[in-house]
Amino acid sequence: MCGLAHYFESEGLSTVLVGFVREHIEAIKPPRALFLDFPMGRGMGKPNDPVFQKKVIREAFGLLDTDSGPVISDFPEVIPVKDGRMGYALPPELVLSVEDIGDVDAVLAEVKAEMAALRPDYEAAVAARERTTVGASGLEIEEFAPFVAGFLNGEIPQSPRKGMPAIPLLKLVVEDLEAYFTETRTHRDSIDDLELMGKWFWEESKTGRMLLLLEAVSIASDNKVMLQIVEMSLMAPRFWSEGPLPGTSAAGW
Amino acid sequence: MTKISEMPAVARGFISNLDLPVVDDPSWAQPVPANKRRISIVSTAAVHRRGDKPFSWLAKDFRAFDKTDRDLVMTHVAVEFDRSAWQQDLNTIIPLERLEEMADDGEIGSVAEEHYSFMGAADPITMEKSARQAAARMKQDGVNTVFLIPI
Repeated sequence: MCGLAHYFESEGLSTVLVGFVREHIEAIKPPRALFLDFPMGRGMGKPNDPVFQKKVIREAFGLLDTDSGPVISDFPEVIPVKDGRMGYALPPELVLSVEDIGDVDAVLAEVKAEMAALRPDYEAAVAARERTTVGASGLEIEEFAPFVAGFLNGEIPQSPRKGMPAIPLLKLVVEDLEAYFTETRTHRDSIDDLELMGKWFWEESKTGRMLLLLEAVSIASDNKVMLQIVEMSLMAPRFWSEGPLPGTSAAGW
Repeated sequence: MTKISEMPAVARGFISNLDLPVVDDPSWAQPVPANKRRISIVSTAAVHRRGDKPFSWLAKDFRAFDKTDRDLVMTHVAVEFDRSAWQQDLNTIIPLERLEEMADDGEIGSVAEEHYSFMGAADPITMEKSARQAAARMKQDGVNTVFLIPI
């Protein structure tokens, strides 16, 4: 992000950015930057809080009134993060193995039932917000769980989406599943708590368990891209965990 | 403040080992007065209109979307950041409605017709060509100010 600022500035466009990692801002020195001590994914701070969001914007745009730079400023309010991590992290000890899979049809049936039970609340959330972020994969909601379950048999299923191989599609389906759950719960229970959402989906739901089984399949896979997904923490939220996933180096990047 | 040195092990190792771009002779574009600013947002959240081509994992290109587009999806490769906030309110990462309100109130000049999204996981050095293409489109739209927001 800081690097992009230099390109736009050299095109004669004045830039101002907000950023979460102060050391990077200090090193790359974009012309005008506002450091935010917030969790990642929340650049304007708080959803559905126009007053707070405008505070951030006004503080950032105030930097456009300086005559020289680079200038770095700190937004005065902090949104605390937990244990130095800027997003939810799975507990390092919560790891499943392929021996835990058992009957794939039974796993799939549990997940389908869980998703079906949430469906009315999901539809209510979409109606209230007049938008949904579910669907990045391009698959229908009913297709998500069967597609993931296909991998639990240890084989790479055929991609149902033209032009997109199965493994990149799998990543998007995993994110669609999580979005289906969190969009539903944040609206149904009127809560905004990323730690609670992560814990509920990844540690407590049947669907989260299916994805941890998928992670186990990935670690055991001969397919380099499947292994890369876990090495690079691209599927289960382990980037902020204290220690790499057992069986991986966490050095994929 | 969350310092890199205080982050958990995996993140600390990754973030502290990133190659950061060095700019020897940085440009400075003098800002215009607030009420003349026409603003375009650049996000590195890898969002795009539903139906647009998803971002590849280390994409160098960008997607443009209109200021009235709300049916956006995210195909960012990384999962370390919270997605629940933007699910609740697009303005948490791309504050188009806030900017429109500020334009209506005269705090800024206007909101650009187009806004842009990049894949934040990619090395910014690989994005230079795309960034300059986006800049050319912005200038055609009369944009003079860019608001960059990471994910």
